[in-house]
Amino acid sequence: MEYLWKIVLLAAVLFILGLFASGLGNDSRNIPSPLIGRPASVFHAPALDDGPEISLESFRGRWVLVNFWGSWCVSCRHEHPYLLQLAKNTAKRSDFVMLGVDFKDTREGAKGFLQALGDPGYRQAFDPDQTIAIDWGVYGAPETYLVDPQGVVRYKQVGPLFNGWFEKIALPLMEPKHENR
Amino acid sequence: MMWIELAHFATIIALLMAVVQLMAPVVGVLALRPAWVRVGRQAAYVVAVALTLAVIGVVISFLNHDFSVKYVAEHSSLSLPFFYRLTALWGGHEGSLLFWAWLLGLYTAMAVWRHWSSHPHSVPVVLSVLGAVITGFLVLILFLSSPFERLPRPPMDGRDLNPMLQDPGMVFHPPFLYMGYVGFAIPFAFALAALVNGRITDEWIVATRRWTLFSWAMLSTGIVFGAYWAYHVLGWGGYWAWDPVENASFIPWLVATAFLHSNMVQERRHMFMRWNLFLIITTFSLSLLGTFLVRSGVLSSVHAFASDPGRGVYILMFMTVVLLASFGLLVFRSDRLKSEVRLESLLSTEAAFLFNNLFLVVAALTVLLGTLYPLAMETLGSAKVTVGAPYYNKVFVPIMFIVLALMGVGPMLVWRGMQAQRLLRAVWIPLAGASIAAGLAFSFLGVRHPYGIVCIFLALFVAVSHGLDWGAAVRKKMIAAKQGFIPASSNLIRRNKRRYGGFMVHLGIVVMTVGFVGSGLFQEEKELVLAQGDFVVMGDWRLTFTGIHSVQGSNWTAQEALITAETDHGKKITLRPQKRVYNNHPMPATEAAISSHFLEDIYVVLGEPVSDANWAFRLYRNPLVSWVWGGAEMMALGILWSLLQGRSFKSKKRVDGTGPALQVDPSHS
Repeated sequence: MEYLWKIVLLAAVLFILGLFASGLGNDSRNIPSPLIGRPASVFHAPALDDGPEISLESFRGRWVLVNFWGSWCVSCRHEHPYLLQLAKNTAKRSDFVMLGVDFKDTREGAKGFLQALGDPGYRQAFDPDQTIAIDWGVYGAPETYLVDPQGVVRYKQVGPLFNGWFEKIALPLMEPKHENR
Repeated sequence: MMWIELAHFATIIALLMAVVQLMAPVVGVLALRPAWVRVGRQAAYVVAVALTLAVIGVVISFLNHDFSVKYVAEHSSLSLPFFYRLTALWGGHEGSLLFWAWLLGLYTAMAVWRHWSSHPHSVPVVLSVLGAVITGFLVLILFLSSPFERLPRPPMDGRDLNPMLQDPGMVFHPPFLYMGYVGFAIPFAFALAALVNGRITDEWIVATRRWTLFSWAMLSTGIVFGAYWAYHVLGWGGYWAWDPVENASFIPWLVATAFLHSNMVQERRHMFMRWNLFLIITTFSLSLLGTFLVRSGVLSSVHAFASDPGRGVYILMFMTVVLLASFGLLVFRSDRLKSEVRLESLLSTEAAFLFNNLFLVVAALTVLLGTLYPLAMETLGSAKVTVGAPYYNKVFVPIMFIVLALMGVGPMLVWRGMQAQRLLRAVWIPLAGASIAAGLAFSFLGVRHPYGIVCIFLALFVAVSHGLDWGAAVRKKMIAAKQGFIPASSNLIRRNKRRYGGFMVHLGIVVMTVGFVGSGLFQEEKELVLAQGDFVVMGDWRLTFTGIHSVQGSNWTAQEALITAETDHGKKITLRPQKRVYNNHPMPATEAAISSHFLEDIYVVLGEPVSDANWAFRLYRNPLVSWVWGGAEMMALGILWSLLQGRSFKSKKRVDGTGPALQVDPSHS
């Protein structure tokens, strides 16, 4: 009994230290979206380039990457080169399509952004009142969702996509067997 | 340009000297060469001076707008007011750490200077322990989060201090908190010295009593400043949210409060020796934890802007070394410190302190549990959870009721023990007074919540029991010294500063408790849209939205609404809530307008414009909030008063000057 308190004390200290060690990599900004595993909220929105209206449902049957951005967002500028590259690399895939949602923005601002930094070529929905962004639970920019061919949200990336994101995160979700090979 | 390099250089010197301060006394003690211990002492002085230069260098870089310094560029701007440039040192992670290390350097120098001749056995260990802590901090500062880093291409203007930190509450919150955190390092080091030397004495308790009191006062004040800041800046109408980082400062406070009481037991009755060592080691460990929790990003909170997981690994390693070394010492060296004295009676001061300690530590554990639970859940792979006010209200608050009740019984008890009848005779008046007050509150003030009734009961119980004790002492004095009421009471208060300082602190806590009840249970909140000329009634107040206009500060512009508040008694004030946009920050900041009165605060937050002339507002009537701040001021005064006493314990000094071990002759110093 005399030694019990010693063991308990040291165990408690070690437990707390261990807890911190395990929590070290956590990013407090990374809040899991409750939408994962749920059908994505469908939308019909005007296109940024005055083209025909964009409907999420029209992409059914393919994986859709939905990238929320705005010309006012600094991180989106950093992310943009990767989007350009990703669009180029995946242009030939028939099972994958990218889609941008420019929210809380003006048409001029967004067009200027694309002109200055390059237009990745995929379709851009225009959402000045953030109705789509609110439906999708977007609380910052950029945020990116991966929607599966059945229209279910499978992944949410808070903050910019990074180099290798597609191979590391999207591909394993798109081709579950890919990992086992 | 030059100042920051001077600061950097001074910090490098400080690190080298801190290593000397850590090593030299070890050599001195092991080789029985007192000269080496003196080298350690001089090193400690050099550390203090060098870190002072470093802090001055960084502050001057802020004053000079030296944006070639990354830290300055990120936390200041040309338009930042002078006052905030002066204090921007602790506006970010790197500077806060430097500030922490500087305080520790100063405290170490002071402690060594004061205790050099009176505690020759403890001082070498104290030097080494504090040297190790400073070294840990300086390595972190110099290699992992340097405030001295330069930018190759200095920007024309800085990024400005985070607008949330541009508030007087935030100017004072960190330094007071840190003065508290760092202050506990001194009793901590003395406690480790007692363990290392294996000397079964109470001298470390006596030596560090004032350090403990001082640090406790600073920590208390720092926490209250934090609450005050939250109340003024965050704009949600409250002052305490059980946020992990708030808890991180509150948990050491609870343990330190336990220590503050139980060290008196050791001083008087030579009991609780191991327990006291445990408490002070825990307090300081939790202080380190509190410092780092804010900095490591392990827990998510409103303080997230300060987080940076990159340094987490080092910080965790440092924590591991400090915690394992100190708790290890406690576990393996404390057996010989077992007290011979046993508790004689449950109706005694020492028993009351025992229970006070028990409940305070359990209270600290409940807060710790609530703080770490989300982290543990996340680690186990479950969803993110947060633990909020409902948990603390259910679990923590009742424990504090017991602590309050003990506080009320405290003055009636005597050391060693007393007869139950005597206690019963003393206790019924406060009990009756408290019952009447609770009854009145129930029937006339409309207090219905059980917590409200219990709080008022306990508050009155404590107040009356303290008042009676004081009254009886004054009466005795008046008869004995044939003095009038005023000279007798002033004599009494001056004679026994510790006791009556403590009483003052207790009364401060009572006043704060009443404030908690008022603001916690009786807050009135309204959220509505007003057009110009509309009015809304809150309590006795009629608040009219009379206009809105733009105002400009040195580094912000704001929409300012004018709200005229009138009572039936003809009181009339104007409230000016603002929605500020700082030049370099896109997010608007709310500047709540608060009108404080003795019984209530009117608190108005300006929201978004709904249409041309309609604005959203959030209005609160917060009863008794000023009692929370007033109570805190009473606490601070009480502590200051009891700090003044100390001379009478001088006779206890030099107790360890006659040991068989090393003799350090002070005359050579």
